[in-house]
Amino acid sequence: MLILQKLGVGGRPWRLAGVDMRKVVWLMHVSLDGFVAGPNGEIDWVKFDDPLIEDVQDLVTTADTALFGRVTYQLMESYWPTAADSPAATKHDLDHSRWLNPAPKIVFSRTLRNVQWRNTRIVKDHIGEEIARLRKQPGKNLILFASPTLGSTFMNLDLIDEYFFNINPIVLGNGKHLFKDQSEKHRLKLLESKTYKNGVVSLRYGRAS
Amino acid sequence: MAERASKMRRIVVSEFVSLDGVMQAPGGREEDTSGSFKHGGWSFKFRDDQVPKYKLDELAASDALLLGRKTYEIFAGYWPKAKDDGGFADKMNNLAKHVVSTTLKKADWNNSRLIKTNIAEEVRKLKKQPGKDILVYGSAKLVNTLLQHDLVDELRLMVHPVVLGSGRRLFDDHAETLKSLKLAESRTFPSGIVLLSYYPAK
Repeated sequence: MLILQKLGVGGRPWRLAGVDMRKVVWLMHVSLDGFVAGPNGEIDWVKFDDPLIEDVQDLVTTADTALFGRVTYQLMESYWPTAADSPAATKHDLDHSRWLNPAPKIVFSRTLRNVQWRNTRIVKDHIGEEIARLRKQPGKNLILFASPTLGSTFMNLDLIDEYFFNINPIVLGNGKHLFKDQSEKHRLKLLESKTYKNGVVSLRYGRAS
Repeated sequence: MAERASKMRRIVVSEFVSLDGVMQAPGGREEDTSGSFKHGGWSFKFRDDQVPKYKLDELAASDALLLGRKTYEIFAGYWPKAKDDGGFADKMNNLAKHVVSTTLKKADWNNSRLIKTNIAEEVRKLKKQPGKDILVYGSAKLVNTLLQHDLVDELRLMVHPVVLGSGRRLFDDHAETLKSLKLAESRTFPSGIVLLSYYPAK
């Protein structure tokens, strides 16, 4: 059974993107002990089922621009440009390819020299200014996919408007931490929590007012 | 509250954690300042009237505490002098306390006994005794030991909507551990705290 719990705000304000100023939303799958990948980058423990995929897809379509750190970008670049061509492609592969491949993509990296994926550009520095500039342009939300190191930088620069954390029912014990290098305390506001049959709990947070 | 899978007593770990998994000193500024922790008392900003009721019900379903040395010392310095209308303090003071420590010489808080060696075996013995849930609060080091020995029957995290950025995290980093869990319950409190409760996956 799907349990939907809502707090505070009625409806789903992130669906109103385009009316309000563009938001930066951060989507992340995380283990209960706060890891986003195993010690060798493993993400095979991330649970995905149809209702969760649909909700993620709904979230993605509130955005029109994808943001990445280098590591996540390279992982995605090795998969998505051809994902829809595979005979084994799922509906999710097709839907997400249709959104992601043509979308403007920005990878924040000081070391990356070349990108192969279409409509991608590299931003080396002045992250805050870049995001501020993007926010002023008309458009839908900006979605940050995974990218824990960049996400931490964004948090420290107070650039994130909404957090979507899918908490997986597993203790990994080791790997890459979601919240690293947090220089200060960040108080958030729970906007919604949703429980999926596969044991994932999706928590959506905004800034505390 | 979850149904019992068997007649055996259950070890229920119940924790206040921040969104980044910090469990240090939720209840007071001076509770535990080790590691120059400066956010002591962080849980108080998120209290609502449902959390104390939940904690009281949880305590009522239990008849013993299993604690690590550090949490025990904090509790033993606080609860004997505490009073409240709900009877939480009375219950805390009367419950049987099992304290895991290799260094503690004595445990003076009412109804306390020390577990000095063979932790896993001693805990297994406790579980075989008749009784209600055995609650573990705080006690991060002990919780990791219990998890490694598959001695935790339910893990309840009250996730607070704050990222602290520093402090003792509940979960240690281990090279070898990977534990699949089964979601037992999730519940949202008006303060924005989310209770996530898990059983070990069979």
